[in-house]
Amino acid sequence: MKRNILVFSEDPRVINEAVYIANILKGNEGKIFGVSKLTEDNDVLSNFDEIHFAKENLIPEQWAKFLIKFYKENEIQYLVSPHTVNNNDIIAYVSAKYNLPMISNATSIKDNDATLIFSRQVLGGRGISYIEVEKSLKLSVTVPIKVYPRIKLDKQSLIKEITEIEKTKITSKGFEEIKKSGFNIENADVVVGIGRGFKSKEDIKLAQDLAEVLNGVIGCSRPIAADYGWLPNDLWIGISSKIIRPKLYIAVGISGAPQHVSGIMDSKIIVAINKDKNATIFKYADYGVVADLYQFLPIFTRKIKENLKK
Amino acid sequence: MVNIATLVKLSLNLNLLKIESDGRVNTADTQLAISEYDKNAIEEAIRIKEKHGGKIVCVSALTWGPVNKKISDAERILREVLALGVDEAHFIIDDVLDNCTPLETSLALASLIRKLGNFDLFIAGESSMDISNSQIPARIASILDIPFVTYVRKVEISGNNLILQREMPNGIETVEVPMPAVISVTGEINQPRLPTLRQILQSKNKPLMKYTLKDLGINLNAKLMKQRIEIRPVVRKNIIYEGGNLEEIAQKLVDNLIQEGVIKA
Ligand SMILES: Cc1cc2nc3c(=O)[nH]c(=O)nc-3n(C[C@H](O)[C@H](O)[C@H](O)COP(=O)(O)OP(=O)(O)OC[C@H]3O[C@@H](n4cnc5c(N)ncnc54)[C@H](O)[C@@H]3O)c2cc1C
Ligand SMILES: Nc1ncnc2c1ncn2[C@@H]1O[C@H](COP(=O)(O)O)[C@@H](O)[C@H]1O
Repeated sequence: MKRNILVFSEDPRVINEAVYIANILKGNEGKIFGVSKLTEDNDVLSNFDEIHFAKENLIPEQWAKFLIKFYKENEIQYLVSPHTVNNNDIIAYVSAKYNLPMISNATSIKDNDATLIFSRQVLGGRGISYIEVEKSLKLSVTVPIKVYPRIKLDKQSLIKEITEIEKTKITSKGFEEIKKSGFNIENADVVVGIGRGFKSKEDIKLAQDLAEVLNGVIGCSRPIAADYGWLPNDLWIGISSKIIRPKLYIAVGISGAPQHVSGIMDSKIIVAINKDKNATIFKYADYGVVADLYQFLPIFTRKIKENLKK
Repeated sequence: MVNIATLVKLSLNLNLLKIESDGRVNTADTQLAISEYDKNAIEEAIRIKEKHGGKIVCVSALTWGPVNKKISDAERILREVLALGVDEAHFIIDDVLDNCTPLETSLALASLIRKLGNFDLFIAGESSMDISNSQIPARIASILDIPFVTYVRKVEISGNNLILQREMPNGIETVEVPMPAVISVTGEINQPRLPTLRQILQSKNKPLMKYTLKDLGINLNAKLMKQRIEIRPVVRKNIIYEGGNLEEIAQKLVDNLIQEGVIKA
Protein backbone atom coordinates (compact mmCIF):
# COMPACT_ATOMS: atom_id res chain seq x y z
CA MET A 1 0.00 0.00 0.00
CA LYS A 2 1.16 3.52 -0.77
CA ARG A 3 1.66 5.69 2.28
CA ASN A 4 3.35 9.04 1.95
CA ILE A 5 5.14 10.24 5.03
CA LEU A 6 5.97 13.78 6.00
CA VAL A 7 8.91 14.07 8.37
CA PHE A 8 9.23 17.48 9.95
CA SER A 9 11.74 19.03 12.27
CA GLU A 10 12.31 22.69 12.92
CA ASP A 11 15.88 21.76 13.88
CA PRO A 12 17.64 19.78 11.11
CA ARG A 13 20.15 18.34 13.58
CA VAL A 14 17.53 15.97 14.96
CA ILE A 15 15.39 15.22 11.90
CA ASN A 16 17.11 11.87 11.29
CA GLU A 17 15.76 10.64 14.64
CA ALA A 18 12.39 10.21 12.95
CA VAL A 19 13.54 8.53 9.75
CA TYR A 20 13.56 5.03 11.23
CA ILE A 21 9.87 5.27 12.14
CA ALA A 22 9.04 6.96 8.84
CA ASN A 23 10.62 4.07 6.99
CA ILE A 24 8.57 1.52 8.95
CA LEU A 25 5.33 3.42 8.38
CA LYS A 26 5.86 4.03 4.68
CA GLY A 27 4.90 0.56 3.43
CA ASN A 28 6.45 -0.51 0.15
CA GLU A 29 5.55 2.34 -2.13
CA GLY A 30 5.22 5.56 -0.21
CA LYS A 31 7.46 8.58 -0.46
CA ILE A 32 9.24 10.19 2.46
CA PHE A 33 9.15 13.98 2.39
CA GLY A 34 11.33 16.05 4.70
CA VAL A 35 10.67 19.60 5.88
CA SER A 36 13.25 21.44 7.96
CA LYS A 37 15.66 24.34 8.14
CA LEU A 38 18.56 24.57 5.74
CA THR A 39 21.45 22.23 6.48
CA GLU A 40 24.50 20.99 4.67
CA ASP A 41 24.53 17.67 6.49
CA ASN A 42 24.70 14.94 3.84
CA ASP A 43 23.20 12.36 6.17
CA VAL A 44 20.07 14.48 6.22
CA LEU A 45 20.12 15.36 2.54
CA SER A 46 20.14 11.72 1.43
CA ASN A 47 17.36 10.43 3.69
CA PHE A 48 14.34 11.81 1.85
CA ASP A 49 12.71 11.56 -1.55
CA GLU A 50 12.11 15.28 -1.40
CA ILE A 51 13.35 17.75 1.12
CA HIS A 52 11.99 21.26 1.60
CA PHE A 53 14.14 23.77 3.44
CA ALA A 54 13.49 27.16 4.96
CA LYS A 55 16.49 29.47 4.89
CA GLU A 56 15.59 31.43 7.97
CA ASN A 57 14.07 30.78 11.39
CA LEU A 58 10.32 30.52 11.29
CA ILE A 59 7.82 31.00 14.12
CA PRO A 60 6.05 27.70 15.00
CA GLU A 61 2.78 29.01 13.55
CA GLN A 62 4.53 29.70 10.23
CA TRP A 63 5.92 26.18 10.05
CA ALA A 64 2.48 24.83 10.89
CA LYS A 65 0.80 26.81 8.13
CA PHE A 66 3.36 25.63 5.59
CA LEU A 67 2.83 22.02 6.68
CA ILE A 68 -0.95 22.38 6.45
CA LYS A 69 -0.62 23.23 2.74
CA PHE A 70 2.08 20.66 2.12
CA TYR A 71 0.06 17.92 3.78
CA LYS A 72 -2.85 18.37 1.43
CA GLU A 73 -0.84 18.80 -1.75
CA ASN A 74 1.17 15.65 -1.19
CA GLU A 75 -1.49 13.25 0.06
CA ILE A 76 0.26 12.52 3.32
CA GLN A 77 -0.83 9.58 5.45
CA TYR A 78 1.48 9.96 8.44
CA LEU A 79 3.13 13.03 9.92
CA VAL A 80 6.26 12.14 11.87
CA SER A 81 8.54 14.37 13.91
CA PRO A 82 11.26 14.17 16.55
CA HIS A 83 9.79 15.26 19.86
CA THR A 84 10.94 18.73 20.78
CA VAL A 85 8.85 21.45 22.40
CA ASN A 86 8.23 23.31 19.14
CA ASN A 87 7.92 20.25 16.89
CA ASN A 88 5.25 18.76 19.14
CA ASP A 89 3.27 22.02 19.12
CA ILE A 90 3.56 22.42 15.38
CA ILE A 91 2.43 18.86 14.67
CA ALA A 92 -0.50 19.26 17.11
CA TYR A 93 -1.57 22.44 15.34
CA VAL A 94 -1.48 20.76 11.92
CA SER A 95 -3.22 17.65 13.26
CA ALA A 96 -6.08 19.75 14.57
CA LYS A 97 -6.65 21.22 11.09
CA TYR A 98 -7.22 17.76 9.62
CA ASN A 99 -8.81 16.11 12.65
CA LEU A 100 -5.88 13.74 12.99
CA PRO A 101 -5.18 11.82 16.15
CA MET A 102 -1.61 12.30 17.32
CA ILE A 103 0.65 10.20 19.47
CA SER A 104 3.19 12.32 21.31
CA ASN A 105 6.55 10.90 22.29
CA ALA A 106 5.98 7.31 21.14
CA THR A 107 8.75 5.22 22.68
CA SER A 108 8.00 2.09 20.67
CA ILE A 109 6.05 0.97 17.65
CA LYS A 110 5.00 -2.57 16.80
CA ASP A 111 3.67 -3.73 13.46
CA ASN A 112 0.73 -6.01 14.18
CA ASP A 113 -0.42 -6.78 10.59
CA ALA A 114 -3.62 -4.75 10.26
CA THR A 115 -2.78 -2.50 13.18
CA LEU A 116 0.10 -0.62 14.71
CA ILE A 117 0.73 -0.61 18.45
CA PHE A 118 2.43 2.45 19.86
CA SER A 119 3.59 2.86 23.42
CA ARG A 120 4.42 5.97 25.41
CA GLN A 121 5.17 7.00 28.97
CA VAL A 122 2.29 8.31 31.05
CA LEU A 123 1.44 9.04 34.70
CA GLY A 124 4.62 11.05 35.02
CA GLY A 125 6.59 8.03 33.87
CA ARG A 126 5.11 5.43 36.22
CA GLY A 127 2.94 3.98 33.52
CA ILE A 128 3.09 2.90 29.90
CA SER A 129 0.18 3.53 27.61
CA TYR A 130 -0.41 1.14 24.71
CA ILE A 131 -2.36 2.52 21.78
CA GLU A 132 -3.51 0.27 18.97
CA VAL A 133 -4.59 1.85 15.69
CA GLU A 134 -5.77 0.60 12.32
CA LYS A 135 -3.10 1.01 9.68
CA SER A 136 -5.56 2.72 7.38
CA LEU A 137 -5.99 5.58 9.85
CA LYS A 138 -4.24 8.85 9.11
CA LEU A 139 -2.29 10.07 12.10
CA SER A 140 0.68 11.98 13.50
CA VAL A 141 3.48 10.77 15.72
CA THR A 142 6.34 12.44 17.55
CA VAL A 143 9.25 10.29 18.67
CA PRO A 144 11.74 10.85 21.46
CA ILE A 145 15.33 11.65 20.60
CA LYS A 146 18.03 8.98 21.01
CA VAL A 147 15.59 6.09 21.27
CA TYR A 148 15.23 4.75 17.72
CA PRO A 149 18.14 3.62 15.58
CA ARG A 150 19.57 6.15 13.17
CA ILE A 151 19.39 4.80 9.65
CA LYS A 152 20.66 5.93 6.27
CA LEU A 153 18.46 5.56 3.22
CA ASP A 154 20.91 6.87 0.58
CA LYS A 155 18.38 8.55 -1.66
CA GLN A 156 18.91 11.11 -4.37
CA SER A 157 16.85 13.76 -2.67
CA LEU A 158 15.10 16.42 -4.60
CA ILE A 159 15.95 19.60 -2.71
CA LYS A 160 13.67 22.60 -2.71
CA GLU A 161 13.63 25.90 -0.88
CA ILE A 162 10.49 27.05 0.90
CA THR A 163 9.67 30.42 -0.57
CA GLU A 164 6.08 31.07 0.39
CA ILE A 165 6.07 31.88 4.08
CA GLU A 166 2.82 32.76 5.80
CA LYS A 167 2.43 35.88 7.87
CA THR A 168 2.07 35.54 11.63
CA LYS A 169 0.98 37.94 14.33
CA ILE A 170 3.76 36.70 16.60
CA THR A 171 7.03 38.65 16.56
CA SER A 172 10.22 37.34 18.05
CA LYS A 173 11.88 39.84 20.37
CA GLY A 174 15.09 38.00 21.00
CA PHE A 175 16.65 34.89 22.38
CA GLU A 176 18.86 34.74 25.41
CA GLU A 177 20.86 31.56 25.51
CA ILE A 178 21.26 30.10 28.95
CA LYS A 179 24.62 28.92 30.04
CA LYS A 180 25.35 25.24 29.68
CA SER A 181 27.05 23.05 32.21
CA GLY A 182 29.57 21.70 29.73
CA PHE A 183 28.80 18.18 30.97
CA ASN A 184 27.07 15.55 28.96
CA ILE A 185 24.94 13.75 31.53
CA GLU A 186 23.43 11.49 28.88
CA ASN A 187 26.77 9.78 28.25
CA ALA A 188 28.20 9.76 31.78
CA ASP A 189 28.74 6.43 33.56
CA VAL A 190 28.08 7.91 36.97
CA VAL A 191 25.58 10.66 37.77
CA VAL A 192 24.96 12.18 41.20
CA GLY A 193 21.48 13.72 41.31
CA ILE A 194 20.81 16.78 43.44
CA GLY A 195 17.36 17.50 44.86
CA ARG A 196 15.64 19.90 47.19
CA GLY A 197 17.24 18.19 50.17
CA PHE A 198 20.13 20.59 49.48
CA LYS A 199 19.53 23.81 51.36
CA SER A 200 21.69 26.19 49.37
CA LYS A 201 23.53 26.47 46.11
CA GLU A 202 26.89 26.33 47.89
CA ASP A 203 26.06 22.93 49.39
CA ILE A 204 26.05 21.40 45.90
CA LYS A 205 29.80 21.20 46.41
CA LEU A 206 29.18 18.10 48.57
CA ALA A 207 27.68 16.30 45.58
CA GLN A 208 30.34 17.62 43.24
CA ASP A 209 33.05 16.15 45.45
CA LEU A 210 31.31 12.79 45.37
CA ALA A 211 30.88 12.93 41.59
CA GLU A 212 34.53 13.81 41.20
CA VAL A 213 35.90 10.80 43.09
CA LEU A 214 33.64 8.59 40.98
CA ASN A 215 34.68 10.24 37.73
CA GLY A 216 31.07 11.19 37.25
CA VAL A 217 28.98 14.30 36.77
CA ILE A 218 26.15 15.94 38.65
CA GLY A 219 22.53 16.18 37.54
CA CYS A 220 19.44 17.48 39.32
CA SER A 221 15.69 17.42 39.83
CA ARG A 222 13.53 19.98 38.05
CA PRO A 223 13.18 22.54 40.87
CA ILE A 224 16.97 22.83 41.28
CA ALA A 225 17.28 24.01 37.67
CA ALA A 226 13.92 25.46 36.69
CA ASP A 227 12.81 26.99 39.98
CA TYR A 228 15.98 27.92 41.86
CA GLY A 229 18.31 28.26 38.89
CA TRP A 230 21.14 26.70 40.93
CA LEU A 231 22.18 24.54 37.99
CA PRO A 232 21.78 24.91 34.21
CA ASN A 233 18.80 23.31 32.49
CA ASP A 234 20.92 20.74 30.68
CA LEU A 235 21.50 18.95 33.99
CA TRP A 236 17.80 18.56 34.76
CA ILE A 237 16.72 14.94 34.68
CA GLY A 238 13.20 13.63 34.13
CA ILE A 239 10.22 13.39 31.87
CA SER A 240 10.27 17.05 30.87
CA SER A 241 14.01 17.10 30.18
CA LYS A 242 16.82 14.52 30.02
CA ILE A 243 16.49 10.75 30.17
CA ILE A 244 19.71 9.14 31.40
CA ARG A 245 20.99 5.54 31.52
CA PRO A 246 24.19 5.61 33.59
CA LYS A 247 25.80 2.57 35.23
CA LEU A 248 25.33 4.28 38.58
CA TYR A 249 22.82 6.94 39.60
CA ILE A 250 22.98 8.35 43.12
CA ALA A 251 19.88 10.34 44.08
CA VAL A 252 20.66 12.69 46.95
CA GLY A 253 17.86 14.61 48.69
CA ILE A 254 15.41 13.67 45.93
CA SER A 255 11.95 12.47 46.91
CA GLY A 256 11.33 10.22 43.91
CA ALA A 257 8.46 11.94 42.11
CA PRO A 258 7.46 9.86 39.08
CA GLN A 259 8.42 12.69 36.71
CA HIS A 260 11.98 12.53 38.00
CA VAL A 261 12.21 8.76 38.30
CA SER A 262 11.08 8.26 34.71
CA GLY A 263 14.35 9.87 33.67
CA ILE A 264 16.52 7.37 35.56
CA MET A 265 14.56 4.10 35.23
CA ASP A 266 17.07 2.52 32.89
CA SER A 267 20.10 3.14 35.12
CA LYS A 268 21.99 -0.05 35.96
CA ILE A 269 22.24 0.63 39.69
CA ILE A 270 20.33 3.26 41.63
CA VAL A 271 21.41 4.49 45.07
CA ALA A 272 19.22 6.81 47.14
CA ILE A 273 20.25 8.97 50.06
CA ASN A 274 17.36 10.58 51.87
CA LYS A 275 16.61 11.44 55.47
CA ASP A 276 12.98 10.36 55.19
CA LYS A 277 12.70 6.60 55.37
CA ASN A 278 9.31 6.75 53.62
CA ALA A 279 10.62 8.65 50.61
CA THR A 280 9.35 7.08 47.38
CA ILE A 281 12.83 7.09 45.89
CA PHE A 282 13.74 4.06 48.05
CA LYS A 283 11.25 1.95 46.08
CA TYR A 284 13.26 2.65 42.96
CA ALA A 285 16.65 2.09 44.58
CA ASP A 286 18.95 -0.92 44.65
CA TYR A 287 20.71 0.53 47.67
CA GLY A 288 19.41 3.17 50.01
CA VAL A 289 20.73 5.05 53.00
CA VAL A 290 18.32 6.74 55.38
CA ALA A 291 20.45 9.62 56.60
CA ASP A 292 21.01 13.35 56.53
CA LEU A 293 22.94 14.06 53.36
CA TYR A 294 25.03 16.68 55.17
CA GLN A 295 26.35 14.01 57.49
CA PHE A 296 26.52 11.12 55.07
CA LEU A 297 27.97 12.57 51.87
CA PRO A 298 31.35 13.64 53.29
CA ILE A 299 31.83 10.22 54.89
CA PHE A 300 30.75 8.38 51.74
CA THR A 301 33.07 10.44 49.55
CA ARG A 302 36.00 9.83 51.90
CA LYS A 303 35.31 6.09 52.04
CA ILE A 304 35.33 5.85 48.27
CA LYS A 305 38.65 7.67 48.14
CA GLU A 306 40.12 5.31 50.75
CA ASN A 307 38.91 2.25 48.88
CA LEU A 308 40.20 3.50 45.56
CA LYS A 309 43.66 4.01 47.03
CA LYS A 310 43.91 0.47 48.30
CA MET B 1 -10.04 44.38 30.86
CA VAL B 2 -8.83 40.97 29.90
CA ASN B 3 -11.33 38.15 29.68
CA ILE B 4 -9.60 34.89 30.33
CA ALA B 5 -10.47 31.24 29.88
CA THR B 6 -8.27 28.88 31.86
CA LEU B 7 -8.09 25.29 30.65
CA VAL B 8 -8.16 22.95 33.60
CA LYS B 9 -7.73 19.22 33.36
CA LEU B 10 -9.16 16.83 35.91
CA SER B 11 -6.27 14.42 35.89
CA LEU B 12 -5.93 10.98 37.42
CA ASN B 13 -4.63 11.43 40.96
CA LEU B 14 -1.12 10.01 40.67
CA ASN B 15 -0.94 9.38 44.41
CA LEU B 16 -4.10 7.30 44.49
CA LEU B 17 -3.79 5.11 41.40
CA LYS B 18 -5.88 1.96 41.48
CA ILE B 19 -3.74 -0.81 40.06
CA GLU B 20 -5.09 -4.26 39.20
CA SER B 21 -3.11 -7.42 39.92
CA ASP B 22 -2.07 -7.67 36.26
CA GLY B 23 -0.52 -4.19 36.41
CA ARG B 24 -3.32 -2.48 34.54
CA VAL B 25 -4.40 0.91 35.85
CA ASN B 26 -8.07 0.95 36.70
CA THR B 27 -8.95 4.45 35.58
CA ALA B 28 -12.64 4.07 36.41
CA ASP B 29 -11.89 3.67 40.12
CA THR B 30 -9.01 6.12 40.38
CA GLN B 31 -9.84 9.48 41.94
CA LEU B 32 -9.21 12.78 40.18
CA ALA B 33 -6.99 15.74 41.00
CA ILE B 34 -6.35 19.04 39.30
CA SER B 35 -3.44 18.65 36.90
CA GLU B 36 -0.41 20.14 38.67
CA TYR B 37 0.53 22.95 36.29
CA ASP B 38 -3.06 24.02 35.71
CA LYS B 39 -2.81 25.55 39.19
CA ASN B 40 -0.16 27.84 37.73
CA ALA B 41 -2.46 28.67 34.82
CA ILE B 42 -5.19 29.71 37.26
CA GLU B 43 -2.78 31.71 39.41
CA GLU B 44 -1.51 33.59 36.36
CA ALA B 45 -5.09 34.38 35.33
CA ILE B 46 -5.80 35.74 38.81
CA ARG B 47 -2.71 37.94 38.72
CA ILE B 48 -3.73 39.34 35.33
CA LYS B 49 -7.24 40.01 36.58
CA GLU B 50 -5.91 41.77 39.69
CA LYS B 51 -3.89 44.10 37.48
CA HIS B 52 -6.10 44.59 34.45
CA GLY B 53 -9.61 43.56 35.49
CA GLY B 54 -11.87 41.23 33.54
CA LYS B 55 -13.45 37.87 34.10
CA ILE B 56 -11.93 34.42 34.53
CA VAL B 57 -13.79 31.32 33.51
CA CYS B 58 -12.52 27.79 33.78
CA VAL B 59 -13.28 25.28 31.04
CA SER B 60 -12.75 21.59 31.50
CA ALA B 61 -13.66 18.35 29.75
CA LEU B 62 -13.93 15.26 31.90
CA THR B 63 -11.86 12.65 30.04
CA TRP B 64 -11.89 9.96 32.71
CA GLY B 65 -15.20 8.25 33.21
CA PRO B 66 -17.58 6.79 33.80
CA VAL B 67 -19.35 10.03 34.54
CA ASN B 68 -21.49 8.57 37.34
CA LYS B 69 -18.37 7.48 39.25
CA LYS B 70 -16.44 10.67 38.70
CA ILE B 71 -19.00 13.45 38.87
CA SER B 72 -18.89 14.27 42.58
CA ASP B 73 -15.10 14.22 42.64
CA ALA B 74 -15.04 16.48 39.58
CA GLU B 75 -17.47 18.95 41.12
CA ARG B 76 -15.46 19.08 44.33
CA ILE B 77 -12.30 19.94 42.43
CA LEU B 78 -14.02 22.58 40.33
CA ARG B 79 -15.40 24.19 43.51
CA GLU B 80 -11.80 24.41 44.69
CA VAL B 81 -10.90 26.10 41.41
CA LEU B 82 -13.73 28.59 41.99
CA ALA B 83 -12.48 29.21 45.51
CA LEU B 84 -9.10 30.23 44.12
CA GLY B 85 -10.65 33.22 42.39
CA VAL B 86 -12.08 31.89 39.14
CA ASP B 87 -15.51 33.45 38.43
CA GLU B 88 -17.27 30.61 36.61
CA ALA B 89 -16.58 26.96 35.87
CA HIS B 90 -17.94 25.21 32.78
CA PHE B 91 -17.39 21.56 32.21
CA ILE B 92 -18.20 18.87 29.74
CA ILE B 93 -19.31 15.52 31.02
CA ASP B 94 -20.07 12.76 28.58
CA ASP B 95 -19.23 9.08 28.66
CA VAL B 96 -18.14 9.33 25.02
CA LEU B 97 -15.09 11.23 26.28
CA ASP B 98 -13.95 8.49 28.67
CA ASN B 99 -10.28 7.79 27.84
CA CYS B 100 -10.53 9.75 24.59
CA THR B 101 -7.63 11.26 22.66
CA PRO B 102 -6.61 14.93 22.55
CA LEU B 103 -8.39 15.15 19.18
CA GLU B 104 -11.82 14.69 20.77
CA THR B 105 -10.93 16.62 23.94
CA SER B 106 -9.92 19.67 21.94
CA LEU B 107 -12.98 19.54 19.68
CA ALA B 108 -15.25 19.37 22.72
CA LEU B 109 -13.43 22.18 24.51
CA ALA B 110 -13.47 24.39 21.42
CA SER B 111 -17.24 24.01 21.03
CA LEU B 112 -17.73 24.93 24.66
CA ILE B 113 -15.45 27.95 24.28
CA ARG B 114 -17.36 29.12 21.21
CA LYS B 115 -20.63 28.77 23.07
CA LEU B 116 -19.35 30.87 25.97
CA GLY B 117 -18.44 33.82 23.80
CA ASN B 118 -15.33 35.90 23.31
CA PHE B 119 -12.14 35.62 25.29
CA ASP B 120 -8.95 37.65 25.00
CA LEU B 121 -6.67 35.05 26.46
CA PHE B 122 -6.62 31.29 26.95
CA ILE B 123 -4.26 29.94 29.58
CA ALA B 124 -3.35 26.25 29.82
CA GLY B 125 -0.63 24.28 31.58
CA GLU B 126 2.52 23.19 29.71
CA SER B 127 1.55 19.55 29.97
CA SER B 128 -1.04 17.50 31.82
CA MET B 129 0.35 15.43 34.68
CA ASP B 130 -1.31 12.13 33.77
CA ILE B 131 -1.07 11.91 29.99
CA SER B 132 1.43 14.68 29.17
CA ASN B 133 0.71 15.11 25.48
CA SER B 134 1.20 18.87 25.40
CA GLN B 135 -1.25 18.94 22.52
CA ILE B 136 -4.35 20.70 23.78
CA PRO B 137 -3.05 24.31 23.71
CA ALA B 138 -1.83 24.14 20.08
CA ARG B 139 -4.93 22.23 19.00
CA ILE B 140 -7.28 24.80 20.55
CA ALA B 141 -5.35 27.61 18.86
CA SER B 142 -5.58 25.79 15.55
CA ILE B 143 -9.32 25.22 15.82
CA LEU B 144 -10.00 28.82 16.89
CA ASP B 145 -7.46 30.07 14.33
CA ILE B 146 -5.56 32.28 16.76
CA PRO B 147 -1.83 32.39 17.67
CA PHE B 148 -0.31 30.20 20.40
CA VAL B 149 2.77 30.54 22.58
CA THR B 150 3.74 27.64 24.85
CA TYR B 151 6.01 27.15 27.89
CA VAL B 152 5.53 30.74 29.03
CA ARG B 153 7.42 31.71 32.19
CA LYS B 154 6.56 35.40 32.25
CA VAL B 155 3.55 37.37 31.04
CA GLU B 156 3.35 41.12 30.55
CA ILE B 157 0.45 42.94 29.01
CA SER B 158 0.97 46.11 27.05
CA GLY B 159 -2.22 47.50 25.51
CA ASN B 160 -3.69 44.70 23.44
CA ASN B 161 -0.38 42.84 23.22
CA LEU B 162 1.16 40.11 25.30
CA ILE B 163 4.90 40.15 25.86
CA LEU B 164 5.89 36.64 26.78
CA GLN B 165 9.04 34.89 27.87
CA ARG B 166 9.25 31.26 26.83
CA GLU B 167 11.34 28.71 28.66
CA MET B 168 13.14 26.71 25.98
CA PRO B 169 15.62 23.89 26.64
CA ASN B 170 18.54 26.07 25.56
CA GLY B 171 17.42 29.53 26.55
CA ILE B 172 14.75 32.13 26.97
CA GLU B 173 12.83 33.42 23.98
CA THR B 174 10.82 36.64 24.14
CA VAL B 175 7.86 37.08 21.82
CA GLU B 176 5.11 39.61 21.36
CA VAL B 177 1.63 38.69 20.22
CA PRO B 178 -1.72 40.49 20.05
CA MET B 179 -4.72 39.04 21.86
CA PRO B 180 -6.68 36.84 21.46
CA ALA B 181 -4.08 34.11 21.88
CA VAL B 182 -3.57 30.77 23.58
CA ILE B 183 -0.66 30.37 25.97
CA SER B 184 0.59 27.50 28.09
CA VAL B 185 2.56 28.22 31.25
CA THR B 186 5.39 26.37 33.00
CA GLY B 187 5.21 25.10 36.55
CA GLU B 188 7.71 27.75 37.61
CA ILE B 189 5.89 30.86 36.34
CA ASN B 190 4.41 31.58 39.76
CA GLN B 191 3.66 30.16 43.18
CA PRO B 192 -0.07 29.32 43.30
CA ARG B 193 -1.83 30.73 46.36
CA LEU B 194 -4.23 28.91 48.63
CA PRO B 195 -7.84 30.06 48.95
CA THR B 196 -8.99 31.94 52.03
CA LEU B 197 -11.87 30.66 54.12
CA ARG B 198 -14.04 33.46 52.79
CA GLN B 199 -13.26 32.45 49.22
CA ILE B 200 -14.12 28.85 49.97
CA LEU B 201 -17.51 29.92 51.30
CA GLN B 202 -18.12 32.23 48.35
CA SER B 203 -17.28 29.52 45.85
CA LYS B 204 -20.53 27.74 46.73
CA ASN B 205 -22.50 30.51 45.06
CA LYS B 206 -20.47 30.77 41.89
CA PRO B 207 -21.76 29.22 38.65
CA LEU B 208 -20.66 25.68 37.92
CA MET B 209 -22.24 24.58 34.63
CA LYS B 210 -22.31 21.15 33.07
CA TYR B 211 -22.74 20.24 29.41
CA THR B 212 -23.05 17.01 27.50
CA LEU B 213 -21.84 16.78 23.91
CA LYS B 214 -25.46 16.99 22.84
CA ASP B 215 -25.86 20.26 24.74
CA LEU B 216 -22.92 21.56 22.74
CA GLY B 217 -24.44 20.33 19.50
CA ILE B 218 -21.55 18.07 18.58
CA ASN B 219 -21.21 14.42 17.81
CA LEU B 220 -17.85 12.78 18.37
CA ASN B 221 -16.63 9.34 17.57
CA ALA B 222 -14.07 8.65 20.24
CA LYS B 223 -13.54 5.03 19.36
CA LEU B 224 -10.60 5.57 17.00
CA MET B 225 -8.02 4.47 19.47
CA LYS B 226 -8.28 3.47 23.08
CA GLN B 227 -5.28 3.36 25.29
CA ARG B 228 -4.53 0.69 27.85
CA ILE B 229 -2.37 1.88 30.71
CA GLU B 230 -0.06 -0.40 32.67
CA ILE B 231 2.27 0.34 35.53
CA ARG B 232 5.91 -0.07 34.61
CA PRO B 233 7.35 -2.90 36.63
CA VAL B 234 10.17 -1.86 38.94
CA VAL B 235 12.72 -4.52 39.72
CA ARG B 236 15.26 -3.19 42.16
CA LYS B 237 17.12 -4.77 45.05
CA ASN B 238 15.77 -2.38 47.70
CA ILE B 239 18.58 -2.93 50.20
CA ILE B 240 18.10 -0.05 52.62
CA TYR B 241 20.49 0.90 55.42
CA GLU B 242 18.90 2.70 58.31
CA GLY B 243 20.23 3.65 61.72
CA GLY B 244 23.62 2.71 63.10
CA ASN B 245 27.06 3.96 62.35
CA LEU B 246 27.37 6.03 59.17
CA GLU B 247 31.03 5.05 58.72
CA GLU B 248 30.05 1.39 58.63
CA ILE B 249 27.11 2.02 56.34
CA ALA B 250 29.28 3.98 53.94
CA GLN B 251 31.82 1.14 53.84
CA LYS B 252 29.08 -1.42 53.19
CA LEU B 253 27.68 0.69 50.40
CA VAL B 254 31.10 1.07 48.80
CA ASP B 255 31.55 -2.72 48.99
CA ASN B 256 28.15 -3.22 47.37
CA LEU B 257 28.98 -0.88 44.54
CA ILE B 258 32.36 -2.51 43.92
CA GLN B 259 30.65 -5.89 43.82
CA GLU B 260 28.11 -4.59 41.32
CA GLY B 261 31.03 -3.50 39.17
CA VAL B 262 29.84 0.11 39.00
CA ILE B 263 32.84 1.53 40.84
CA LYS B 264 36.37 0.26 40.50
CA ALA B 265 38.50 -0.44 43.53
C1 LIG C 1 4.19 17.75 34.16
C2 LIG C 1 5.31 17.69 35.18
C3 LIG C 1 6.61 17.47 34.73
C4 LIG C 1 7.66 17.38 35.65
N1 LIG C 1 8.92 17.10 35.19
C5 LIG C 1 9.91 16.87 36.06
C6 LIG C 1 11.22 16.46 35.61
O1 LIG C 1 11.47 16.33 34.41
N2 LIG C 1 12.17 16.24 36.53
C7 LIG C 1 11.96 16.38 37.88
O2 LIG C 1 12.88 16.17 38.66
N3 LIG C 1 10.74 16.78 38.33
C8 LIG C 1 9.73 17.03 37.46
N4 LIG C 1 8.50 17.44 37.93
C9 LIG C 1 8.39 17.83 39.36
C10 LIG C 1 8.20 16.66 40.28
O3 LIG C 1 6.82 16.34 40.37
C11 LIG C 1 8.72 16.97 41.69
O4 LIG C 1 8.10 18.16 42.14
C12 LIG C 1 10.24 17.17 41.76
O5 LIG C 1 10.90 16.11 41.10
C13 LIG C 1 10.66 17.20 43.21
O6 LIG C 1 12.03 17.48 43.31
P1 LIG C 1 12.87 17.01 44.57
O7 LIG C 1 12.77 15.54 44.74
O8 LIG C 1 14.23 17.58 44.40
O9 LIG C 1 12.19 17.80 45.78
P2 LIG C 1 11.22 17.31 46.92
O10 LIG C 1 10.10 16.53 46.40
O11 LIG C 1 10.94 18.49 47.75
O12 LIG C 1 12.13 16.29 47.78
C14 LIG C 1 13.21 16.66 48.58
C15 LIG C 1 13.66 15.41 49.33
O13 LIG C 1 14.84 15.70 50.07
C16 LIG C 1 14.77 15.03 51.32
N5 LIG C 1 15.63 15.76 52.23
C17 LIG C 1 15.40 16.98 52.78
N6 LIG C 1 16.45 17.35 53.54
C18 LIG C 1 17.34 16.33 53.48
C19 LIG C 1 18.61 16.11 54.06
N7 LIG C 1 19.19 17.03 54.86
N8 LIG C 1 19.25 14.95 53.81
C20 LIG C 1 18.68 14.00 53.01
N9 LIG C 1 17.48 14.17 52.42
C21 LIG C 1 16.83 15.32 52.66
C22 LIG C 1 13.30 15.04 51.69
O14 LIG C 1 13.02 13.97 52.58
C23 LIG C 1 12.63 14.87 50.33
O15 LIG C 1 12.38 13.50 50.05
C24 LIG C 1 7.42 17.54 37.04
C25 LIG C 1 6.12 17.76 37.49
C26 LIG C 1 5.07 17.83 36.58
C27 LIG C 1 3.68 18.05 37.10
N1 LIG D 1 -9.69 17.63 29.43
C1 LIG D 1 -9.20 18.87 29.53
N2 LIG D 1 -9.99 19.91 29.91
C2 LIG D 1 -9.49 21.16 30.00
N3 LIG D 1 -8.22 21.48 29.73
C3 LIG D 1 -7.39 20.48 29.36
C4 LIG D 1 -7.83 19.14 29.24
N4 LIG D 1 -6.79 18.38 28.86
C5 LIG D 1 -5.73 19.22 28.76
N5 LIG D 1 -6.08 20.48 29.07
C6 LIG D 1 -5.21 21.67 29.09
O1 LIG D 1 -4.11 21.47 28.22
C7 LIG D 1 -2.88 21.42 28.96
C8 LIG D 1 -1.95 20.41 28.35
O2 LIG D 1 -2.52 19.12 28.43
P1 LIG D 1 -2.02 17.89 27.57
O3 LIG D 1 -2.16 18.26 26.14
O4 LIG D 1 -2.90 16.76 27.98
O5 LIG D 1 -0.58 17.66 27.98
C9 LIG D 1 -3.31 21.12 30.39
O6 LIG D 1 -2.35 21.59 31.32
C10 LIG D 1 -4.64 21.86 30.48
O7 LIG D 1 -4.43 23.25 30.68
